[in-house]
Amino acid sequence: MPRILLVEDNEMNRDMLSRRLIRKGYDVVMAEDGRQGVELAGTALPDLILMDMSLPVIDGWEATRRIKASEATKAIPVIALTAHAMVGSQEHALDAGCDDFDTKPIDLPRLLGKIEALLQRGSAA
Amino acid sequence: MVEALAAAGLAPGGLGLPWHIAIDLAVIASVLAAGFLAVQVADTRSGQRIAASLAELSRREAELRATLENMQQGVAMYDADYRLVTWNRQFREYLDLPDEFLEGRRTFADYIRYLAERGEFGKISDIEALVAQRLEPLAREHWLERTRPDGTILEIYRNPIPTGGFIAIYTDVTARRQAEGLLRDEEERFRAIDRAAPIAVVIANAKDQRVRHVNPYFVEFFGLQEAHQIDGLDDYTVRRMAALSLLERPLAEVFPDPAQGQELAALLARGKTGRMDQELRFVRPDGKELWVAASLEQLEFRGEPAVIACLSDITDRKRAEVELTRAMQAAEAANRVKSDFLANMSHELRTPLNAIIGYSQMLQEQAADDGQDDYLADLAKIERAGAHLLQLINDILDLSKIEAGRMSVFIEQVSIPALVGEVQSIIEPLAAKNGNRFVVDCPPDIGSIDSDVTKLKQSLLNLLSNASKFTNNGTVQLAVSRAGSDADARAGSDADSQGGASADAQISFHVTDTGIGMTAEQMDRLFQAFAQADSSTTRRFGGTGLGLAITRHFARMLGGDVSVTSEPGIGSTFTLVVPVHDRSSPPPAEAAGEPKRTISGDAAGALTVLVVDDDEAVHDVVGAMLGRDGYRVLHARSGPEAMTLAREQRPDAITLDVMMPQMDGWTVLSSLKADAELRDIPVVIVTMLNDRAIALSLGADAFLSKPIDWAQLSAVLKQCSRHHAESILVVDDDPEMRDMTRRMLERMGITVHEAADGAAALAWLEANPRPSIILLDLMMPEVDGFEVLDRLRQSDEWSNIPVLVATAKAFSADELAQLQRSTEKIISKGATLGVDLRTAIREMLQRTQAIVGG
Repeated sequence: MPRILLVEDNEMNRDMLSRRLIRKGYDVVMAEDGRQGVELAGTALPDLILMDMSLPVIDGWEATRRIKASEATKAIPVIALTAHAMVGSQEHALDAGCDDFDTKPIDLPRLLGKIEALLQRGSAA
Repeated sequence: MVEALAAAGLAPGGLGLPWHIAIDLAVIASVLAAGFLAVQVADTRSGQRIAASLAELSRREAELRATLENMQQGVAMYDADYRLVTWNRQFREYLDLPDEFLEGRRTFADYIRYLAERGEFGKISDIEALVAQRLEPLAREHWLERTRPDGTILEIYRNPIPTGGFIAIYTDVTARRQAEGLLRDEEERFRAIDRAAPIAVVIANAKDQRVRHVNPYFVEFFGLQEAHQIDGLDDYTVRRMAALSLLERPLAEVFPDPAQGQELAALLARGKTGRMDQELRFVRPDGKELWVAASLEQLEFRGEPAVIACLSDITDRKRAEVELTRAMQAAEAANRVKSDFLANMSHELRTPLNAIIGYSQMLQEQAADDGQDDYLADLAKIERAGAHLLQLINDILDLSKIEAGRMSVFIEQVSIPALVGEVQSIIEPLAAKNGNRFVVDCPPDIGSIDSDVTKLKQSLLNLLSNASKFTNNGTVQLAVSRAGSDADARAGSDADSQGGASADAQISFHVTDTGIGMTAEQMDRLFQAFAQADSSTTRRFGGTGLGLAITRHFARMLGGDVSVTSEPGIGSTFTLVVPVHDRSSPPPAEAAGEPKRTISGDAAGALTVLVVDDDEAVHDVVGAMLGRDGYRVLHARSGPEAMTLAREQRPDAITLDVMMPQMDGWTVLSSLKADAELRDIPVVIVTMLNDRAIALSLGADAFLSKPIDWAQLSAVLKQCSRHHAESILVVDDDPEMRDMTRRMLERMGITVHEAADGAAALAWLEANPRPSIILLDLMMPEVDGFEVLDRLRQSDEWSNIPVLVATAKAFSADELAQLQRSTEKIISKGATLGVDLRTAIREMLQRTQAIVGG
């Protein structure tokens, strides 16, 4: 059962996405801000991270940079969840070290496709 | 002949008659003289001679008769009995007299009676009274003028002749009287206009530029009547008197505003005519502002070349223009605020909407898993409604961003086949929903273009989803073609399809449907925001009505456009054209969050030093030395001159002598330091006195004693101007605050870099050499000031950059302690921020210099 770390400050988004992922059979851990996200990445060692970009304390880009800078967590694939209208945010996300991105609102089948692709790549490597 | 003339008392000029009448009289006199001659001849000559004389007489009479008949005037002569004896054709015609009357040896009384009965004098009740009245003046020379029933005006002159009788001469003066009437009309009209028209008129001689005429309104226009005001005089008279007083004055002097007077005079002197483009602003003696439009024309006045200027008051229009501009700016600002608000609000709107869509999707999944199919349809409706609302919000967001000028374009290489493939995969299911066939016609070798892929894709999706929506069981086609002069070049080089592309090459996307089509009227409004072809369309077909407006905006941002042809019932074709090479407008200069580097005035060039000394020798020496070292030197010989130059030129440093006449160095120094704009200019006191303490207490930045040690002065100036080498990174999310700070620091000669938030600041630090100081705001979105401090402390490279925190936040004791460990100084954003900031930065820069120097 792959473990996904969901870093999302909006309570409803967190609740929704986590429950849908759990229904799809994932083990979900959650963080509410960038700093927590970085900590949990190190302690819970998830198989994949879903990272919201606009987060309090430290934002998603910075959190991703730190995760990718740490030996213990740099191999964990990160999918950035970016707001629809923020032009250039995808590029920023990839610059920060994200492996893929998806736009909000979440289209679950599309997101699941990306999650599966990254997880398979991870297990194949 | 001459005697005869004299005898007849008809010598020309002798009567003071008008010349034309005098000449005519001379003719008549000669007729009379001939008569006397005939009588004399008859008395003294023999028969033979009489016969000859009679022949001569007959000839002369014929000549005289011919003369009489050809005169322009009517002539009638009456004998001593006042019987009509001689007349000419003109007389007969003027008065329309039948031959029977003329031949009947009628008297003048008969003549009057005849005319009166004929109605020549209008309705006359007592004809005999009229006759008496006309007979009365015949014994003396007299004039009269009367209008005949047919409207002709006759001037009648009657004069007794020595033989008894009198002569009457009739002149038709109708034309002359009419001309005089016209002239009089014209004069009255002119006088009325002169008095009433609100146009100031001045006529000036073109050569001597002196005033030949001004109208009374000119005086009122410029408020010049004051000096001519006399009790009891009406306004018009006062103005006319004032106008008269301006005659023969030089043109430039008659205007209340000498500068504008000169300008107008110069324009007149140039002989430029016609309506002037520029409008002149005058200030009247009473202080009122007056905007004037002038119309100039060359003319001849009193036989000399002159220029007339007609000036009209356009002050109200001018004020209205100013008001209008102000109102427009306010409206634009309000519109921007609205757009900003919408852009921000849209974000807020999307968050709850995402929850609605998300939870409805989740419940659908759950219901499907649990076999509760009853709920599925309703949950799908919630999701669809949410999705529609989201689309609306996204469109409004796009549009408001476009309107607020915050929509930027990201140009990159876009592969057309790849783009078309992606679009196809999205549109195919949409087209299929309405039973449509989706056909794509795109040459596989069409190549790529420089464009913004997101906007291009969104535009194509808009056009294609519209086509799919408005077409049922038909065909939706996307055809792509390349146009422009590189089409041939492309055919010849398949390796690099853009190799031969010319600047005007274009790609056209044609979206054709077999749907309901549109009328011309509907097409007109098609691309306007919030104007779907028919408002019921929104209800029938859904959609926001914004898609096409956005598409057109996008197309134009990309340097292209979108157009449409359509026929109701047959279908529509939308054509999106974009250039192959980027011709989009450059993105806005200041993208939010991007650090901006600004170099202050002369920082890049020579430094300016103002040398203030009353001793010319000092100017020579110091000027030469400073010039040699690459400084730009300004010279002031007195205190007031120094103040003026300092204000105008804002030098980078000032060297100031103390002992000067009029205004001494201490006064200059105090004035400089008391002026908020000038107090930051470093001042070096250069004096023979040993007054270092006074100098420094008054705020001098350095003190040197004369004679000047060049090395010392050079070192001091370098020290003073060193701030130029200093740079400060200003991190604040408030653009006004950044701007205010930047300008203040630049005045101190410091180079300023800006970052709009913590993330931008960190990014800037990574990409640039370290600044001398970081000026940091704490409350910022995303990465706040605390986080930046955190990162700086952790970094080896940045940990020792002094940080100055400027904040409006109130701190807890813990926060304060934490801040004090990691920052150099904390100042609060209050009323004295400017002063506090300047002082703090000075201190910090001096300390860093001390460290660097030491």
